[in-house]
Amino acid sequence: MKDLKHLIYFESLLENADNELVEKQKAEGGLAIGYTCFHIPEVLLNVGNCFSVRLRAPRTGSIDIATYYMSNYTCEFARSLVERGIEGGFNFLDGLAGVDACSMMNRFYEHFEVLKMNEKPNFFVTHTDMPYKVEPHTLVHYRKQMQLRLLDVMKEKYGVDISDEAIRAAVEEHNKVCRIITEIGEMRKAENPVITGYEFHVLNLVSYTCPKAQILPYLEETLAELKKRKPDKKPWYRARVAVVGSEIDDPDFTKMIEEQGAMVVADRYCYGSTPGREVIELNDDEPALDQICRHYMEVAECARYISDEKVAQRRETADRLAREFGADGIIYEQMKYCDFWGFERALVTHIMSTEKGWPVLSIDRLYNAKGSGQLRTRFQAFVESLEIKKIQKAKQEGGNA
Amino acid sequence: MAFKLPDIRLPKFRKEPKVKYPNPAFFRAKDEIDWKKQGENLLEFSKIAVELIKETDWKEFLAKQKSDMISDFNRVKDEIEAISKMSPAELQYLLQYGEKKLGKLYRSGAMATVRREFRGVKDTAYDFWEWLRMWGMLLGTFSKDLVPALNMTFWYRWMISYMCCVAFMDKNTLGQRGRALQMSHLMIYDIFRYVAENLVLLAKGDRKNGNSSELNKKMVIFDEMTMGQIMCGFPDLIGVPFQLMPVFLVSEIDQLTCVPYIDAVESFGLPSDTCPVPSSECGALVIDALPHVGSCFLSSSMPCDGSVMASSYFSRRFPDMPVYHLCFPVRYEYEETVEDGAEDIRQCIRFIEEQTGAKWSWDAYFTCMKRFNEETKYELQKWEVNKTNYPQIIGPSYELFRKWNYEMDGGADPRVIPTFKKVNKLLYDAYNARDEAWVGKMRYRGLVWSCPAHYYANFSNWLANCWGIDILVEMESLNYTKPLETEDPDLALQDLARLYERMVMRRHTNGGYHNVVDELWRQAEAWNVDIIIMYQNVACKNMSTLQGMLDDLARDKNFHMIWIEHDLMDPRTVSRKTMRGKVNEYMRTVMKAEPVDETLLEFDDEIMM
Repeated sequence: MKDLKHLIYFESLLENADNELVEKQKAEGGLAIGYTCFHIPEVLLNVGNCFSVRLRAPRTGSIDIATYYMSNYTCEFARSLVERGIEGGFNFLDGLAGVDACSMMNRFYEHFEVLKMNEKPNFFVTHTDMPYKVEPHTLVHYRKQMQLRLLDVMKEKYGVDISDEAIRAAVEEHNKVCRIITEIGEMRKAENPVITGYEFHVLNLVSYTCPKAQILPYLEETLAELKKRKPDKKPWYRARVAVVGSEIDDPDFTKMIEEQGAMVVADRYCYGSTPGREVIELNDDEPALDQICRHYMEVAECARYISDEKVAQRRETADRLAREFGADGIIYEQMKYCDFWGFERALVTHIMSTEKGWPVLSIDRLYNAKGSGQLRTRFQAFVESLEIKKIQKAKQEGGNA
Repeated sequence: MAFKLPDIRLPKFRKEPKVKYPNPAFFRAKDEIDWKKQGENLLEFSKIAVELIKETDWKEFLAKQKSDMISDFNRVKDEIEAISKMSPAELQYLLQYGEKKLGKLYRSGAMATVRREFRGVKDTAYDFWEWLRMWGMLLGTFSKDLVPALNMTFWYRWMISYMCCVAFMDKNTLGQRGRALQMSHLMIYDIFRYVAENLVLLAKGDRKNGNSSELNKKMVIFDEMTMGQIMCGFPDLIGVPFQLMPVFLVSEIDQLTCVPYIDAVESFGLPSDTCPVPSSECGALVIDALPHVGSCFLSSSMPCDGSVMASSYFSRRFPDMPVYHLCFPVRYEYEETVEDGAEDIRQCIRFIEEQTGAKWSWDAYFTCMKRFNEETKYELQKWEVNKTNYPQIIGPSYELFRKWNYEMDGGADPRVIPTFKKVNKLLYDAYNARDEAWVGKMRYRGLVWSCPAHYYANFSNWLANCWGIDILVEMESLNYTKPLETEDPDLALQDLARLYERMVMRRHTNGGYHNVVDELWRQAEAWNVDIIIMYQNVACKNMSTLQGMLDDLARDKNFHMIWIEHDLMDPRTVSRKTMRGKVNEYMRTVMKAEPVDETLLEFDDEIMM
């Protein structure tokens, strides 16, 4: 296939948190609010003159200083963010919207404060409390947290317009991005798709890390380009897989899977498009904030949600996506030291395999996984096993016929 | 200045009919044992036993017995010789205070000490009396329904470890004398009584064993990391912390108990970097090592990320069991979060009512909470004494008692108040007499911080006996001490939420770094400590992520802080010997100190209970 016009530009945008479009938006008076966790509704960080930047630590090398502070037994993602913060990589931020969802990420936010990584006079770090289940009273709690610990802080520190109208305007812009990403994502369902998993991963990530207003024109253009893009004569992949699990913000991880012959057709992981790129439908009867909070609670797939219906939802979503996108197997992945996904992965791998009949590859990985020879070998073996299964299935069907 | 025992008495309650606790009807509930199933299990058990007998190298076994006999003979000979060479003053000391060199009680490769400790004539006699009293209580409790209770040993391997519970008592009181010994015995007796009663109930209710549907209708099981106070409002029901007996407590008696569970769940795919507590719970579920009891289960989000996830393993093993997930805000100091916690408790009460048909009783709840408030006052008196230059209540029995009373008993058992009274009477008498808990051995004032490993490794006791480091208090004791509301139902639920949010460990490791970092320095100053024993559970993410911050501040504030890595109930990751080695190294190189008992510097207790 012909290369996408903006792919190299998009890749360059992912090389730094403080990328060209972020700088441009700031130059136009924008306030950059960093966040990491899905539990912080991205759309609330895009009200008024604020814009959201989902934090990553691309091109991470040594994390020795962060390891001194956080020990070597903890999540490399959280440590990499601390390291990047100490290096000054997040000095461009005007605020940090933190959640107390998982202990290690929470400590990243706390180190940000304690080590005074950003000394702008109005800079703030919030710590919001997240529910573990979806109930009427937990929704009230969630909404209260977003109001008191996020929106009110933004208003107090920078005078940001946090009115219902401002929130609705942010939702409108957010939905535009979501519609484009969803439409592009749907293209992966085709037998011979016009987009690779890697390309989609890049497009999706820039939609999280760049100001919406700045990235929208590029995304619109890319969508138009993809509609006209001609696929290769034959599908390039040997198998199709859905990737499910904890945070992945490195497109090279997807590239490594695809280099072994497995196209990533569905991305059900933190920083992926499910959840995250669902359109938020608002009615006029309820305040926008209430509806947004409900939306985020309902679509959330975080393993932290403890209640039975959420546990079931996670399994159903993975199964549904794998079926809808024509996957041959599922890769359950987990960032090493992530307790939530560690427990979830072990059990669900077993359930998806024995009850839902999916071939499953279960892995834990480091934040910087692209250089891992072990992972490469495991992906290769998984692709081969999927191919063998397909051949056996074809033979069986031929025999039956 | 002599302390006078403050006049603390239980408030006069509304006259209630005298009730026995726990309700004797629970023990009388009819068993419905499936004898055929028991027979099949016994057959399987016998096959395993026969295999073990066949696989045993009897020659080696006999050689080991012979070697032990020779070693015992030589030891006795040496002891007689040593006594015969003693001066009258030394002999008098021995008769009064007992032996000093406790390392001699250990033998390489043994599961128990070579003999019980000689504590002087009086204390040994007292110790023996308490030993008898403990056995009497255990036999009496198990006799309440002997068949399923004993049959449990054929179903669950962890039950065998309880046979060594008296050794746990000995281990926890090693080196203690006089009133300190008496206090330890009083406290540990109450814990063991609670454990024995709950074991009998678990055996009766277990659908594999006693199968008492009458009891199961009345039994609500809850996560061992969930506090028991909520059950105080249901006097017609019994609440049992489901994994406490098969996993958590038994691993403190025998550190090796949970190893097969950890292995099982890791073979299942769980990463080995997770905390051994939820790992063991999940492993026990994977290999069906937990009793199938009760009418419903209260799971919880506490205290940390790992524990949150264990509930999905429960639902997988027992899909027919209705579950309520009791979840509390993590940022518990935000006042706006309190109502969310209170509402969750309200919903939980409704859930229990629906599942069991029982009705919540505010009278019953308030009665228990009044008792709990009194118990807290007694606890604060202990702290007051230990903060002085003459601390009195030290050691693992106290630490365990505080934790058990705060988390599990929670004012439910009226028999615990007399124990508090007796212990505090002894405490003040000991203070006024300037007693030493470890006679002639007390040198340093210590504070334990982070997830502690002292029960598994008998560490506080070893610190005192070997180096004279007396642990005055530990992080997990320093929890919620404000009186709980006992009049207004809405305020009471809010207070209960506050209490739950500040459960053991969660109080410090959740809600922001200041709760564990700033709090440490505050407590270290309040207790005037010389040494901080900083346990580092290698799998505890909440604490590991603060390692640098704690180190930086310890240097700034000039505290002696000894980091001790451990992995709770998995001694394969960090052995007890390695843990002790960290202290030995620090004391010798940094403190330039000499041990008070050099026989305890190096000894082998890798497989010891």
